[in-house]
Amino acid sequence: MNVFAGTARVDVEKLAMHRGLDMTRFSNLLMKEKTVALPYEDPITFGVNAAKPLIDALSPEEKDRIEVVITCTESAFDFGKSMSTYFHNLLGLNRNCRLFELKNACYSGIAGLQTAINFILSDVSPGAKVLLVATDISRFMVEEGGEGLTEDWSFFEPSSGAGAVAALISEIPHVFQIDVGASGYYGYEVMDTCRPAPDKEAGDADLSLLSYLDCCEKAFLEYQKRVEGADLAGTFGYLAMHTPFGGMVKGAHRNIMRKIAKARPAEIEADFDRRVQPSLNYGQRVGNIMGASTLMAIASAIDHGDFSSSQRIGCFSYGSGCCSEFFSGVAGRDGQSKLRAQNIAAHLDRRYELTMQEYDELLVTNNTVKFGTRNVTLDPDFIPQARTTHGRPTLFLKEIKEFHREYDWVS
Amino acid sequence: MTKEEIFALITRHAGEVIPRLEQHAFQWTDSLRALGANSIDRSEIVMMTLEAMELDIPLSETIRAENIGELAALLHGRQAGVQA
Repeated sequence: MNVFAGTARVDVEKLAMHRGLDMTRFSNLLMKEKTVALPYEDPITFGVNAAKPLIDALSPEEKDRIEVVITCTESAFDFGKSMSTYFHNLLGLNRNCRLFELKNACYSGIAGLQTAINFILSDVSPGAKVLLVATDISRFMVEEGGEGLTEDWSFFEPSSGAGAVAALISEIPHVFQIDVGASGYYGYEVMDTCRPAPDKEAGDADLSLLSYLDCCEKAFLEYQKRVEGADLAGTFGYLAMHTPFGGMVKGAHRNIMRKIAKARPAEIEADFDRRVQPSLNYGQRVGNIMGASTLMAIASAIDHGDFSSSQRIGCFSYGSGCCSEFFSGVAGRDGQSKLRAQNIAAHLDRRYELTMQEYDELLVTNNTVKFGTRNVTLDPDFIPQARTTHGRPTLFLKEIKEFHREYDWVS
Repeated sequence: MTKEEIFALITRHAGEVIPRLEQHAFQWTDSLRALGANSIDRSEIVMMTLEAMELDIPLSETIRAENIGELAALLHGRQAGVQA
């Protein structure tokens, strides 16, 4: 698997100061940086840039065995055409391939992962692989004179990121081996957060937090019912959870440890530092990347944990609306070195840091590529430093011609 | 538990989560949000109160309460054997 978290970032502490937020409250977010999508970046550029190193590492024969491409997203730019078709083309995959897209808010990545796992386990095409691309961007636009800067917004602006996780799912797990059948799922209809119009995010931050906390507990209890002897405190070396912002994960961890493991506050704090913090490092630097968030938390746990002996990771995904799942898998030393070879931390370091002025300009400039844009040519001179910041070919959106998106490799 | 006892639990937990509220003279119409509790603080206060009451209801049900008095009444109504 691999993470691509864009070409530009902002320091969220500087952003919070710039917005005049209460800094004591702000520290509860446990956020450091976030990725900001530039006008010439879209869910396709994030996804292709994440998947490219994985595909390039395959032999032509292996590459030809990719028989399914699943895109997991809530940021699609077309109601009908699936982004998998763009990934398939830009990555040059075999045409005997299933292409489709999945949506269920931030749960999409895990819905896709489980769909892929089930395809592999069904053994209908032995040796086949699935390319999973979870990719999401946030679209923050300042409405002049609106009530955008509410308390809720002050939590969500510093935490809304952009990024993609790509993963190859096959019968040989190189990085992370899913525990077959070890899943507790829990969903119900709730109106917490949503994207009710193409360029709008709306929601009730409070209700979303409470629903997340409820689901985390219920999904784990269901997992425990299905997995004999599963124990929250003892079974998992690490926990990796969907990370809207670090503070929310901390709240959920505290809740389940108190209610289910009956742990005392000091134990909970130490357990958080030991078992949860490794999974948060990337999220704290990228922000909430919705459908890709749980997968990035898993990558972060594997990169930052101690895997000198194999460890089981307990994973929790929550998508507003809502559906959630607690599942698990195992990673070891080899998996860790494979993942570390992607140099995700160095990639995050290389992102260009936007000034507050550049960032504010971007909120307005963002308006140029609205949902439904029929024709536009993107300006390559806008924040040009970002385009070469990675020192390797990076895909960017060049233009939209009669709704069709055309891309460019820039190095 | 009576509504008054639940109100006392909520306000005690509010003081634990937000120390500057420890000495606050809470009114039934006080809103935790208006007193400066953010969504994480509020969820924490509700969780601690449910735990103390040994009450197991979805946290998301408590979203309807607009102030501490309404929250106390809502939790009171959800106790086993209590007519709301």
